[in-house]
Amino acid sequence: MSELRYVRPARVRPLPEGAVPVVRLKEVTKRFGKVVANNAITLDIHSGRIKALLGENGAGKSTLMSMLAGRYKPDSGTMEVDGRPVRFESSKDAIAAGIGMVYQNFMLVDSMTVAENVLLGQEGGFFINPGEMEARVDALATEYGLAVDVSARISDLSMGERQLVEILKLLYRKSRILIFDEPTAVLTPEETNRLFEALWRMTEQGKSVIFISHKLEEVIALADEIAILRRGRIEGELDPTAIESKAELASRMVGKEVLLEVDRQPVEVGEPVLEIKGMTGLGLTDVNLEVRQGEIVAVVGVAGNGQKELVEAVTGLVKPPVDTVFIMGQPWRKFFAESTWNRSMCYIPEDRLGLATMRNQNLVDNLLLTTRKGFARGMWLDKRRAERDTEELIRKYDIRPGRIHALAWQLSGGNLQKAVLARELYRQPRFIVAEQPTQGLDVSATEEVWRRLLDARAMAGVLLVTGDLGEALQLADRIAVMYRGRILGMLPTSEAETASRIGPLMAGVLD
Amino acid sequence: MALKIRKRDEPWKWGALVIFLGALLFSLGVSCLLLAGQGKDALHGMFILWEGSFGNLWALEGALLKAIPLFLCSLGVAVAFRMQIWNIGAEGQFALGAIGATWMALSFPGLPWYGLMPLMFAMAFLLGGAWAFIPAVLKLKLRVNEIISTLMLNYIAILLLDYLVFGVWKDPTSFGFPMTPEFTSGAVIAGIGSSRVHWGLLFCAVVGVGLWAFMRFTRLGFELKASGEGARVARYAKIRYGLLTMFVMGLSGGFAGWAGCIETSAVLNRLQPSLMVGYGYTAIVVAWLARLEPLNIAFGAFLLAALRVGVENLQLELQIPAAFGVIMEGMILLTVLAGQFFLTYRIERAPREGGE
Amino acid sequence: MLMWEFIIPLMAAAVQSGTPILYATLGEMMTEKGGVLNLGVEGIMAVAALAAFVTSFATGSPWLAFLAGGTAGLAFASLHAFVCITCLGNQVVSGLALTILGLGVSTFLGVPYVGLAAPGFDPFAFPLLSSIPVLGDIFFRQDMLVYISFVIPFFFWFFFRRTSLGLHVAATGEMPAAAAAAGLKPVALRYFAVLTGGFLIGLGGAYLSLAYTHLWTNGLSGGRGWIAVALVIFAFWRPGRAVIGAYLFGGVMAFQLRLQAMGTHIPSSLLLMLPYLLTILVLILSAWRGRRIDAPAALGTNIEPEA
Repeated sequence: MSELRYVRPARVRPLPEGAVPVVRLKEVTKRFGKVVANNAITLDIHSGRIKALLGENGAGKSTLMSMLAGRYKPDSGTMEVDGRPVRFESSKDAIAAGIGMVYQNFMLVDSMTVAENVLLGQEGGFFINPGEMEARVDALATEYGLAVDVSARISDLSMGERQLVEILKLLYRKSRILIFDEPTAVLTPEETNRLFEALWRMTEQGKSVIFISHKLEEVIALADEIAILRRGRIEGELDPTAIESKAELASRMVGKEVLLEVDRQPVEVGEPVLEIKGMTGLGLTDVNLEVRQGEIVAVVGVAGNGQKELVEAVTGLVKPPVDTVFIMGQPWRKFFAESTWNRSMCYIPEDRLGLATMRNQNLVDNLLLTTRKGFARGMWLDKRRAERDTEELIRKYDIRPGRIHALAWQLSGGNLQKAVLARELYRQPRFIVAEQPTQGLDVSATEEVWRRLLDARAMAGVLLVTGDLGEALQLADRIAVMYRGRILGMLPTSEAETASRIGPLMAGVLD
Repeated sequence: MALKIRKRDEPWKWGALVIFLGALLFSLGVSCLLLAGQGKDALHGMFILWEGSFGNLWALEGALLKAIPLFLCSLGVAVAFRMQIWNIGAEGQFALGAIGATWMALSFPGLPWYGLMPLMFAMAFLLGGAWAFIPAVLKLKLRVNEIISTLMLNYIAILLLDYLVFGVWKDPTSFGFPMTPEFTSGAVIAGIGSSRVHWGLLFCAVVGVGLWAFMRFTRLGFELKASGEGARVARYAKIRYGLLTMFVMGLSGGFAGWAGCIETSAVLNRLQPSLMVGYGYTAIVVAWLARLEPLNIAFGAFLLAALRVGVENLQLELQIPAAFGVIMEGMILLTVLAGQFFLTYRIERAPREGGE
Repeated sequence: MLMWEFIIPLMAAAVQSGTPILYATLGEMMTEKGGVLNLGVEGIMAVAALAAFVTSFATGSPWLAFLAGGTAGLAFASLHAFVCITCLGNQVVSGLALTILGLGVSTFLGVPYVGLAAPGFDPFAFPLLSSIPVLGDIFFRQDMLVYISFVIPFFFWFFFRRTSLGLHVAATGEMPAAAAAAGLKPVALRYFAVLTGGFLIGLGGAYLSLAYTHLWTNGLSGGRGWIAVALVIFAFWRPGRAVIGAYLFGGVMAFQLRLQAMGTHIPSSLLLMLPYLLTILVLILSAWRGRRIDAPAALGTNIEPEA
């Protein structure tokens, strides 16, 4: 993971003397309730350059850029475009000023065609003609050398293609300042490379690119200048050529020395807790997988290549074909018919607020959600004991705010994940399915989750589904790469070349 | 001065009550305008409304009497709404309960009350529950929208009731009026002492406390609450959502069925079309105003029952159409819904922008 | 014999009694396309029917009355729009409240008019077209409001396929955030959908008191609003299928009336159940086809304001 995977076509372009910024943010502040998301931020954007906004999740990068894109309004401070102060009432004003943003969750209407999405709000008249619209967008795509079927519905496109549509939207609107919010999260390494090339081409035409990311190596490889955001403030701006090491960059981003590595001692491997044998169906093809107690097996791949289906089948949300999934030695049907609340399987899902917890209930009720059988006496529930145990878990895992009657939605992402982890480990699981367990968490919370998962190996086997290759390489003993519903490779992390082999497999390229 | 919307960090503790009172005041204000529009003295009208609702013992008895079926229907509606199942069918389930009770009362006229009452209540629960069970099954198996199916079953139930009292169950001695023969004494719920209020009140109290305890202290009650957060959470928690849906709908319909049974037996002493006065719809208003909490429902049912009684008084004294009460119900509910905005948001003065 | 004496008049009657349902279904479809579920159709129709009747009674102008019906529908739907779009109230409950309120208002204010008659629309043979065999008898010996209802589905289709405003409304119903990011105003678009929909629903209500009957009675809407809500699902949010559905229900209602008039032995209460039973049946059939995807993705969810 240490070597850079992306190759710059040219060296970093130095900023000419006396260049005038196209966008200037001065002392911009934004609060959400008590939280100060952006605190007096001052930032310049120059034309023809790529500016990276580097920061942890929750540092305020997206908020800042959403203000520039007209989605939020700043509480105080000014924004200038071409030296003139601007106030955006909506995205429309920002678009008119030449600013366009590609959001992390694509802002595309699934049931509409590519052409309709690109031209939405820019149809150029009250009456429209689908054929003419498609021709217009097709011409634009051809002009920029972007291959996409303009009459296809968004729901039929891959994530990479959807991103092209978002880029087409910006190009059509003649945006001069292009903002990309974590654009690589849904791309294969190959698609990422192509995106970077496209970004460089666009800057050569005089456009400015703002690239939001928390991935160090991407930022170093891509940017002409880097601004680090930490806890809503600009921590510093620096020249990528002047960076001595990734660790230095990381510690500036996080604000303290961070170990980007965890210490993973091997644990003795025991009985299999999950066996998938030749499973075909639910969008999966011939999937074979085994997880044993004492090991962590990671499943990686670009989002939407069958990981969700795999997790749903394993965790009992949907029914897999007969005799393909065996959990703790039992066939799927038998396991879920007889499963007990503890010493069994637990699932830490990606969707913490909507699936793993009840948003409008307190922590006691949320503890009971999966452990209720342990607190049942006949038909009654022992709420007293549940309250005591909740208090104890809050202390043990340092969950804030430390009140048992706090509602789930009041917890921050990291605290909520700790609460879910606390509850699921309380069940003393033998098999853990963890899905994107550290997504959106800050570094200290991430480290804690990693440590807990590694500790859990003493009693359990872990199936780790993640989009973060770093996480997979850190934690897992073996990594399964998924592509279009198949497992294309099973790579042991003990081998040195594993890191470099994952990328091609994610894109479906076998050696 | 610029105003700004902010999401609340903490729930607004007494907000629900404040909003409810505000909505009540607003609706009363609009009602005054309606009265004035009819050429009546609005303040005098309000006084008559108050007199009719709470002014004397007779009025209070009347309100309690009407609160009984409302309370039961509303409990049923609330249980279903808690699970985000939109059971709009209390009216029809109420009718089926009445039909079930009548069936038993007419079939076994000779039985004493301790033999007949259990039969009537059981059949009312069964038929009311079955009437709600149909939409539940349709929703689960065929994903048929329960709002529409429960509502259509209301129309069908009322027509079924009509069919019975105009046809097979018609009292031959009723001079052609659509009604069944009067129930025998064993099928009539007696009044408490010399008051008009009958023992159904006690039944309500028992059911209400029972449901409250069930929701709060039992595992099934907890699972029901958890399912209210959505089918996905329920599946995650390995709660048998489908089974629970059917159980809850059965319970919901059963409660409305009991309301129908009590109303037929204690108030009308026979089955006739005038039984259907829209308690099932008012129950939805009560349930939502009470934020689906059993104790609040008791208050809400009493309040809206009192409103009905008051409107009857208004009708008598000032010749105001009975629909006046319906308008008030709709208006209170609509205003409360609008007001609930302030439970999640607050409006505050925007700080001055930096550059201006 | 049977054909000319029974079936063709029945089909003509089906078109007539299907027309108010068609207006209301298209109105609800418009509303839902913008992402708002309006269960107040029944109440809106009742209020609009009264408004139309009173206007016709007072001015003697059926056309003014027809417009008044639409306007009353729009005004009444604006309550729902305010509660759901601005105040973020629960769409299901708000719609129910609207129905309760609307039925109350129409009964309350309609008291002095019960049993009175007002000028309305009468059937006439449409020039040329009415002489087409069979079709002319069914479709072109109707009143003016029926003829107007023939063109609305085409307008509806044209609006969503051929105008930018239609595209914007549909985008708001599918994904308000995407519409906002494209510089559109989802809140305004939703208001537009609810108000236009309310206007159409109001026209359906007006039809009841101006053409279906020329009299004012209580309970004129008689569940047609709910049938319209069900038909939107049956129609998979497409205007063409709404026409089929509306005439199907019109047919059942006309059939049931005819049977009663002919004096069958079947009790009228059982016959009256037919449309309601059919509604459930129709929902079962559409669910069986399993076309959930056609529903606007953001239907029923409110747009939370971003501070």
